[in-house]
Amino acid sequence: MGRWVGSLAAWLLAMGAVSAAESVRAVSFINDVVPVLTKASCNSGACHAKAGMGQNGFQLSLLGFEPQEDYEHLVKEARGRRLSATAPEQSLLLLKAASAVPHGGGRRLDPESEAYRLVKTWIAQGMKYDQSTDPKLVSISVQPARGTLKRKGEQQLKVMARFSDGRVKDITKLALYEANDRSMAETEENGRVRILDIPGNVAVMVRFQDKTAVFNASVPLGAPVKHLPPSKNFIDQFVFTNLKQISVPPSPVCDDATFIRRVSLDIAGRLPTVAEAEVFLSSTEPSKRDKLVDTLLTSPDYADFFANKWTALLKNKRDAASDISANFAFHSWVRDSLLANKPYDQLVRQLLAATGTIEGNPPVAWYKRVKQPTEQLEDVAQLFLGVRMQCAQCHHHPFERWSQHDYYSMSAFFSQIGRKPTATAGEDVIFHKRGMAQAENKKTKLPVKPAGLGDPTLDIPPDEDPRLRLADWMGNKANPFFAKSLVNRYWKHFFKRGLIEPEDDIRDTNPPSNPELLDALAKHFVESGFDLKAVVRVITQSSTYQLSATPNQHNGVDRQNFSHFYPRRMQAEVLLDSIDQFTGAKTDFADLPPGTRAIALPDNSYNRGSAFLKVFGRPEGASVCECERASSASLAQSLHLMNASDVKGKLAASGGRAERLAKDDKPAAQKIRELYLAAFAREPQSHEQAVAEEYLAKPREDAQGKPLPPDQSRRIAYEDLLWALINTKEFLYNH
Amino acid sequence: MNIGLTGFATLSLPGLLRLRAENAGKPQKEKTAVIMVWLIGGLSHIDTYDPKPDASTDYRGPFNVIPTNVPGMNITELLPLHAKMADKFTLIRSMTHRAGGHPAGHLRMLSGDPDERDKPAPKYPDWMCLANYLRSKQAGRTSPLPNYVAINSIEGGYAGPAYLGNAYSPFTISDDPNRPNFQVPNIGQTSATEARRLSDRTALRQNLDTLERSFDKEGELGALDQFESQAVTLLTNPKTRDAFDLGKEDARTRDRYGRHRWGQQLLLARRLVESGVEIIHSNLDGPICGTAGNNWDDHAVNAHVFNGLRYRCWAYDQAVTALIEDIHARGLAKRVMVVVTGEFGRTPKISYDRSTGAHPASGVAGTIQPGRDHWPRVFTNLWSGGGIPGGGIIGASDKRGEDPAERPCSPGDFLATLYHHLGIDWENTTINDLTGRPTHIVNGGAPITELFS
Repeated sequence: MGRWVGSLAAWLLAMGAVSAAESVRAVSFINDVVPVLTKASCNSGACHAKAGMGQNGFQLSLLGFEPQEDYEHLVKEARGRRLSATAPEQSLLLLKAASAVPHGGGRRLDPESEAYRLVKTWIAQGMKYDQSTDPKLVSISVQPARGTLKRKGEQQLKVMARFSDGRVKDITKLALYEANDRSMAETEENGRVRILDIPGNVAVMVRFQDKTAVFNASVPLGAPVKHLPPSKNFIDQFVFTNLKQISVPPSPVCDDATFIRRVSLDIAGRLPTVAEAEVFLSSTEPSKRDKLVDTLLTSPDYADFFANKWTALLKNKRDAASDISANFAFHSWVRDSLLANKPYDQLVRQLLAATGTIEGNPPVAWYKRVKQPTEQLEDVAQLFLGVRMQCAQCHHHPFERWSQHDYYSMSAFFSQIGRKPTATAGEDVIFHKRGMAQAENKKTKLPVKPAGLGDPTLDIPPDEDPRLRLADWMGNKANPFFAKSLVNRYWKHFFKRGLIEPEDDIRDTNPPSNPELLDALAKHFVESGFDLKAVVRVITQSSTYQLSATPNQHNGVDRQNFSHFYPRRMQAEVLLDSIDQFTGAKTDFADLPPGTRAIALPDNSYNRGSAFLKVFGRPEGASVCECERASSASLAQSLHLMNASDVKGKLAASGGRAERLAKDDKPAAQKIRELYLAAFAREPQSHEQAVAEEYLAKPREDAQGKPLPPDQSRRIAYEDLLWALINTKEFLYNH
Repeated sequence: MNIGLTGFATLSLPGLLRLRAENAGKPQKEKTAVIMVWLIGGLSHIDTYDPKPDASTDYRGPFNVIPTNVPGMNITELLPLHAKMADKFTLIRSMTHRAGGHPAGHLRMLSGDPDERDKPAPKYPDWMCLANYLRSKQAGRTSPLPNYVAINSIEGGYAGPAYLGNAYSPFTISDDPNRPNFQVPNIGQTSATEARRLSDRTALRQNLDTLERSFDKEGELGALDQFESQAVTLLTNPKTRDAFDLGKEDARTRDRYGRHRWGQQLLLARRLVESGVEIIHSNLDGPICGTAGNNWDDHAVNAHVFNGLRYRCWAYDQAVTALIEDIHARGLAKRVMVVVTGEFGRTPKISYDRSTGAHPASGVAGTIQPGRDHWPRVFTNLWSGGGIPGGGIIGASDKRGEDPAERPCSPGDFLATLYHHLGIDWENTTINDLTGRPTHIVNGGAPITELFS
């Protein structure tokens, strides 16, 4: 406590010194006034930011990224009544901000504050705009830049700005602070960071004008790490090193039953069969887990399951009935590419630079779906680079270094796409239109040449398709986004949470929870020749992936260090297939052969006919973000599993498992064992066996209270038992 | 049969859910609610709430103008019951936007999407899913019923939860509530055998649901348990079934709403709102009395516009006025807001085309008949309850009913008014879309405060 008071006093003293100097110097609109407006949230999306419509006709640029425009709005608009040099306190800006007159946003500036005085001084000094020769902001830095903090600990940050005239200024009070994981840390306006209860790594983004800096905190748990599972590959080395650093002991490796169910669901999108489970459980082969991974990776189920993931992200959606052939062709192309394990850089290149007709070259279908260059660049950036560029179309990216210039430089790669209609309505031939690749910056109206993110501008000859140059840039081994984005996306597929979260929001201000691991995964992927199966293999063969979901006495709080497996509900398609496999029923889908599984569906059109898929959140292919797939629970889902006619029909299916078991003369214990192997890939425990046997043996009555014949009674009992198992969390979850 | 709460006491339902179940059917005074009556296809404003008797014959249509019990407010003879109770509602005659297709018109009005072009699916969540989402974040709801119910729902990608996810979609009732054996799937098992079986199954599941739960720090399984319990309550508690049972209504009340699909839809809306459902929409679409398809999209090729209006307005007049009267008579006029509108109005100038003969109010196939087309530039909404004193007219269209002449009101104003009544901060609330961008729930607009004065 004493230390806290001391540091605060020193800090206040420092601020006082700055403000004394301020009064003699001319106040800068760009470097002083705009930051005050930003800090007071005047130009935030919900208030007066133009991007958010600007309340009551007073519009500022979002977060003050365009000071020139803000100056126009403040000084020249509304007949100049917003500012008054002769009576600065009577300026509408200050009256509103101090809430001296009614203000929808309440009181934003205290008239006694330094910030208020700064704006007042600037008005009194004649409301000047900065000269081109005036000092400009060069960089900001935060001190400390990293630190190890206790849970519930606190840290005061200090932020310094450096200007082009060499001046360095403490801007702690004017900077904005935001933690990348609010469940781990909270920030205060004055730059104080308060750590909450969860151990791990958290970043606080510091923002001042268009510059950002990051404070990285490592928050140890402080528990003893005595036993580590065997390290099977580099993933384990990096994960366990991190766990030791933050002193979080990992859970032990899971048992074989858990593993076969988990890895079959994650690689092949299906439950293991009873036979597969029996063989695997009884095998004494030491490398049986590694071998199972290889078997699953060579199965067509792997290609079906991952094609299902990619085609939704690539927006293979049916808007009109006539889309069917294009969608089938595109889906087959993705699936076959995955089955053949086409290198990822090749896959992306074939998609990006696709030319011709859909019939001749199916990836052309992506250009049918995604038509505008802006949408093309946004999708490519988010999906293949993990960078969200959307914001930068209309204003400087609020959390990033990307400007509108960067945005339109990327869009220029797509500026020379030629289209010619074909005989098939809605389908164009895609070709390269000869000419200089360039796009118009929507703001400056100036032409912009193509450039990869953070790369120099390219002069591409008119005869060359600029999309090939984009693919070259992306597939370059040194590309800072391409490989990282893919391994992070796949990591999330297997671990529920990306090393960077969300998985497609890679930026300096959102660092990975384990940066060394992410780098190593990306390096491994590049060196493997962009081998997708190799990524899956190295992940699923690691001990980290095979840890038990059950926390030990310490690691239950961990949510981002992978000290235990994080269970997740099966996704819609997998759940439907699992119920079909378990009950022995089939779901019919229009125009597809009987027995087609939900993970093999080529597009979203089947959601319309399947309440099940809709209720459990199968995406519509409307967004390039995996978050379109809803994973949250809902009342409708519970009702559906418990009572919907399609599920009831599966339980009672003729030729289904319930019917077969009811008719079978095997002892009940064997049949219960079959059900447990089919649902959970494990043997029933003795109490489960007892509960189930008792339930099966119980006599049943009809509506009139008369005893039912034994065969009917048994049929009902097996349907009920199947119902009960489907409705357990153990079934619904991959754990 | 006495299944329900006592039958499940052994399942150790959390106390909260028990309380919810016990409170089913009791009015929830503290929580405001909205019933939106939707006229899919677009109601002809000029033939109903905004007559233009002085316009030329190629505009004004055949219907006579009648006075109402509010001096100065005239409507057409299609709505005689409305005329007797105009003091209980207010008309906004200057709602305006520019989205002329059905999808875009819906999305403009219901989700505030500024895009005037049609699209196959909503980009933004509609106000109902959004209100459902925001209300679900608040504590203190005690009704076991779903909070957003659609009685004959708006389909076809014209509305929906967009990036909020399907969890916030409506609980949908698609059966005709006027049918003698009207049923709502998943509500209150009707057969004792079915109910007993569900109870057996649930008990068995309880004994077998043994997944180790210590990993559940984020409360995912806890939430799932809650939904499962709520589902059991819905399926078995007789009180939840009562909320949907129109047989519990007085025969005279049922007659007053009208013994047809639309009348009973609105009666069901009122019954649900009294049982604690806070967001309801009811689409007056489809057959009124078991006849062929019917909506308000009266192009000449679809229907003879005037015969079509005659064909359905008697039922419409009956149903809507019954709802308004009932809301007032049962002390709900402050808590419950009723709004009646379609996605747009219809072209004031009459057009002519050949009938296809498909509609019950159409001429023989091939005969030329009058129609009106889509008209978003100006149309009328009806508002009642929600503390609106009634008897008011806000805004006006010009002399031919083509554009607003006074106080134009936008879809943003429409949405802000609804949010305002629901106690939702329409001005500052933002929801992150799938890219993480905070998106305002109202994109330009403000509550139409004249409604309340």
